[in-house]
Amino acid sequence: MMFFLQYVIRRTFQNMMGNLFSNLITIGIIAISMLIFSTFTLLAFNLTNFLKIWEDKIEVIAYLKRGTPSSEVEPLLKKTRLLEGVETVRYVSPYDAMGFMETKLGGQKNLLEGIQPAVLPPSFEIQMKKDYRNSTKIKEVVAHLKEIPQFEEIQYGQEWVETFSVLVHILRLTQWILGGLLLIAVVFITSNTLQLTISSRREEIEVMHWVGTSPSFIRIPFYLEGLIQGFLGGGLAILFLFLLHQGLFLYIPPSMQAWLAKIPVLFLPLETIAWILLGGMVLGFFGSFVASMRVLKYK
Amino acid sequence: MNEAMIEMHHVFKTYPSQISALSDITLEILPGEFAFIVGPSGSGKSTLLRILFCAERPTSGEVVVHGIHITQPDFKKIYQLRRTMGIVSQDFKLLRDRTVNENVAFALEITGHIREEAKSKASEILRRVGLEEREGDSILALSAGEQQRVAIARALVNSPPLLLADEPTGNLDARMTLDVMEIFTDLHQKGTTIVFATQFTGLIKRYSYRAIRLLDGRKADSHKVEEVKATG
Repeated sequence: MMFFLQYVIRRTFQNMMGNLFSNLITIGIIAISMLIFSTFTLLAFNLTNFLKIWEDKIEVIAYLKRGTPSSEVEPLLKKTRLLEGVETVRYVSPYDAMGFMETKLGGQKNLLEGIQPAVLPPSFEIQMKKDYRNSTKIKEVVAHLKEIPQFEEIQYGQEWVETFSVLVHILRLTQWILGGLLLIAVVFITSNTLQLTISSRREEIEVMHWVGTSPSFIRIPFYLEGLIQGFLGGGLAILFLFLLHQGLFLYIPPSMQAWLAKIPVLFLPLETIAWILLGGMVLGFFGSFVASMRVLKYK
Repeated sequence: MNEAMIEMHHVFKTYPSQISALSDITLEILPGEFAFIVGPSGSGKSTLLRILFCAERPTSGEVVVHGIHITQPDFKKIYQLRRTMGIVSQDFKLLRDRTVNENVAFALEITGHIREEAKSKASEILRRVGLEEREGDSILALSAGEQQRVAIARALVNSPPLLLADEPTGNLDARMTLDVMEIFTDLHQKGTTIVFATQFTGLIKRYSYRAIRLLDGRKADSHKVEEVKATG
């Protein structure tokens, strides 16, 4: 077994060094393909993450009809709290709303001079339970809120959530369609490089066939070569993506950096990196498998 | 009576271009026998040998080597069969980027022997074919006759009971041919079964071994297997 492993490793590196240029080209092409796929994965990952943060902060504001008697507020609060999916409900009186606006305007709060708090409608700020912080579930809760006659208007940033969800879905779809196309390309490229390697070792392989070398003994070094090409290609893609990710922060203007500080632009988690590397290896293996099926028939 | 080393029963080989290479070949070669397959170029000698080592399948007929029915559709373990035979060809098929010893040792390494053991066994075989002085030389530094001796050494290194040689003296001059034939004769005396394809009838006259003549190999209707001599 030890001998077999030694042989396979030695043979694989001999093959790779003997066809260094074509191997480097293949690794480069795999790296570019995997980089494109990984970039989409990173974008989708960050947008999903952003959507999750945004959804976590999402709240529903139910504006009460003007002139709703204050005696009805407490029972209405209780009723709203009992709705499925509602976590907390806070009553915001017109005075609270005015105070909030003053805080937001800061030094420019004099703009509000002459405006009576009574012009602002009272409202309920409704926090949703974690499982309900998505556009589908929010719609269900909003439908129940709309059935309550004391509410005049319900706001919850519906368009933003839906547009964002659609964007993330499109990105995911693009990622997988591109992934599929790149998969075919990588298998094709790896397969062709390995055919070159096999061709350059034609005489040796012929001797191997003559003396009765087992097919696995002949093929495994080529499979390993494909695996290594895929691993190195995937690894390079992750490295480039990491450098791009880091570079993004170096070259963006300071004003945008302050804004971006509120939105974390994360790098891919380790698990995803492992999947990308594994994906590269699987593609490399398939490429070599296809090549060996085509040209390593025992004859 | 010994069980035959090789049996061919009504073997036909027709290529997709409708060229008939072998037609109704029936023969038997016994263990320890030296058999020449003789005939002019294109008579089907190489095809016959290629069928014996499973590089080609006959169109019809049955072939049995070492008791294994190699023409049966479920026969897949060609590599196991090849380990029981040595193959020598006219063009040597040596690895030019390796030394004499490495070429022979390679055949052992790739069948699961450790490197040092392979090198030492290769030296032993090279002594048998008279190349002990050239072990470390590059293949390119050898004469054609010496290269053929390396090819024979490689074919013998796994001690196969059967040696298939396709025109092994085809590229050699008279003196080199005699050197190589001496090795084959020695192997035969030590019990190796040898099937030796050649177009040179002079060899048959010189060595009193059985000769099977293939005539007019390209025409299916005129194929004949003629027992020229049977001294076994």
